[in-house]
Amino acid sequence: MMKGGWFKVYAIGYLVFLYAPIIILPMFAFNDATVIAFPLTGFSTRWFSAMLEQPTLSLAVKNSLFIAVTSAVLATTLGVFAARASTRYRFPMKAGLMGLIMLPLVLPEIIVAVSLLVVLLGLGVSLSLWTVILGHVLICTPFTIAILSSAFQSLDQSLEEAAYDLGESAASTFRLIILPLVMPGIISSLLISFTISLDEFIIAFFLAGTEPTLPVFIFSQFRFPSAVPVIMALGTVLVCLSIILLTIAEYFRRRGIAKSGGKDTGGFL
Amino acid sequence: MTEKPTMIAFQDVHKYYGDYHALRGITATIKAGEFFSLLGPSGCGKTTLLRTIAGFEGISSGAVMIDGRNMAGVPANQRPTNMVFQSYAIFPHLTVGENVGFGLRRAGLTKDALAARVGEALDMVGLKGYGARAAHALSGGQRQRVALARALILKPKVLLLDEPLSALDKKMREQMQVELIRLQRQVGITFILVTHDQEEALVMSDRIAVMFEGEIAQLADPETLYRRPNSRKVADFIGTMNFLPASILSETGGKLEVEAQGFGKVTLEAEQAPGAASGEGAAVGFRPETLTILFEGQTATDRESMATIEEVVYYGDMTYYDVRLDGTEKPIRISMRNVFGRPVLDIGARTRVAWSPGALVLFR
Repeated sequence: MMKGGWFKVYAIGYLVFLYAPIIILPMFAFNDATVIAFPLTGFSTRWFSAMLEQPTLSLAVKNSLFIAVTSAVLATTLGVFAARASTRYRFPMKAGLMGLIMLPLVLPEIIVAVSLLVVLLGLGVSLSLWTVILGHVLICTPFTIAILSSAFQSLDQSLEEAAYDLGESAASTFRLIILPLVMPGIISSLLISFTISLDEFIIAFFLAGTEPTLPVFIFSQFRFPSAVPVIMALGTVLVCLSIILLTIAEYFRRRGIAKSGGKDTGGFL
Repeated sequence: MTEKPTMIAFQDVHKYYGDYHALRGITATIKAGEFFSLLGPSGCGKTTLLRTIAGFEGISSGAVMIDGRNMAGVPANQRPTNMVFQSYAIFPHLTVGENVGFGLRRAGLTKDALAARVGEALDMVGLKGYGARAAHALSGGQRQRVALARALILKPKVLLLDEPLSALDKKMREQMQVELIRLQRQVGITFILVTHDQEEALVMSDRIAVMFEGEIAQLADPETLYRRPNSRKVADFIGTMNFLPASILSETGGKLEVEAQGFGKVTLEAEQAPGAASGEGAAVGFRPETLTILFEGQTATDRESMATIEEVVYYGDMTYYDVRLDGTEKPIRISMRNVFGRPVLDIGARTRVAWSPGALVLFR
């Protein structure tokens, strides 16, 4: 009895710790005051209109979306190749190679950012959105491989052989059988790398040159107290977008499982 | 009966996986229209051999010929074979009809012609009207039928079946065995079945190749395999075989004089000793049903010996007796069909046992 009681307290405390800051975000976004403090003074949507009038913000959003979409597509493409190779083929030094590919997962991001910067400058490459994309592909690829490996792993190898046996070529087998069956994995890989790239700060800060990205813009705005409510409004929009995105990802994942008749073994939601 | 033409010929086929010698010189022919089984314990190379026909597995040396054509360099998607996989490999994202018609995608048929062929194939395997169903919602037996229809719709020269019944329960398996035999007779295609289940092989096949460790130990029709196994290993793998030590006294004019423990002196025909010398010493082998326990008033038609009953296992329709023949050390098994009004004997009882020299097999 007592034990159960403490668990309840712990669980509630944990949830408050996790979600209280996120609930505070919309509270102040709709609050009619510049200062972020209680008590709330009144309802207002002026921070949202102020947000829309910020020219740098729209540029930052555009840049971030471009980076996130491009990185997600590139990282997922690389992930498909690597996951397919690691689950289907045997080759020398496989364990070591896969380990090296997965290493950025645990490397401190600041180290990756700094060393990339040094190398790029040394090569005489000028900093741009593409250098950020390069860095983001590097850190997203391990995630995509992890997601896609499990998708490829659960694929029965005799499905491929059956299609091949029935006269299809290797390429059409991939298109007709493998791709549709790993599609849920590909979609969640795209969404996850999109999300990682969208809110990534360190690499963007180091490698973007003069181009603003969304996290870098947000960080820079905190220097001006008057801009903080606008950031709150922006944060509210981003949280809503994340929830929508995750819901879509989960929908596709579940539909994929139902379609292939598999058993649901967890997911994001 | 006229001799059927050869459909598949293995010519000294070897297969290495690195250092592992998986196929050790397979030479055999499979005739057109035959129901042929590759039987053996797991790891004996039977699936590997099947996959060399399909083209999923290359060979290290030798040749695999299908219908007179050397298959070297011919990829799996161009071979005149189709396969039913152990897992059935039904495409889960397609309907039953799309699965069955998958191989005809490239045939350039009109929509109606394709639907007609698919309907025909489904009808043949007893799944009429299932075309629009989702493939992943099928039961094991239905998946099996879809896999069969999908492979047969292309009218291959050879249908390869990789342990197709192992995932089904006993009742379903027995039903599918009969259906497969019927189907094979109906379509007349050469069927090659891989199985580790000796009973399945005996029931279904025209001929069986028993494989051990990458080699064919014996290739024969089911009856020969059962009655005249050419080695102790084959005899042990197929059904139950009793062994008693024996010594060969003389061998003249196709007849063998043998002194067998428990049986005394017997004369055997040369065909009763089909195997080569094993170096283990000679023994006679015999199946449990070839011996009969004699009840009061019964007399042996051929020979008889005295024995003591050591164990009784009652199966309802059958009773298995472990009996020790006088003058032998270890018990042998006799199976008796239970007959109304006849008692089941007790452990320790003395009994007469009838046997016939013709049912013995000599292992050298």
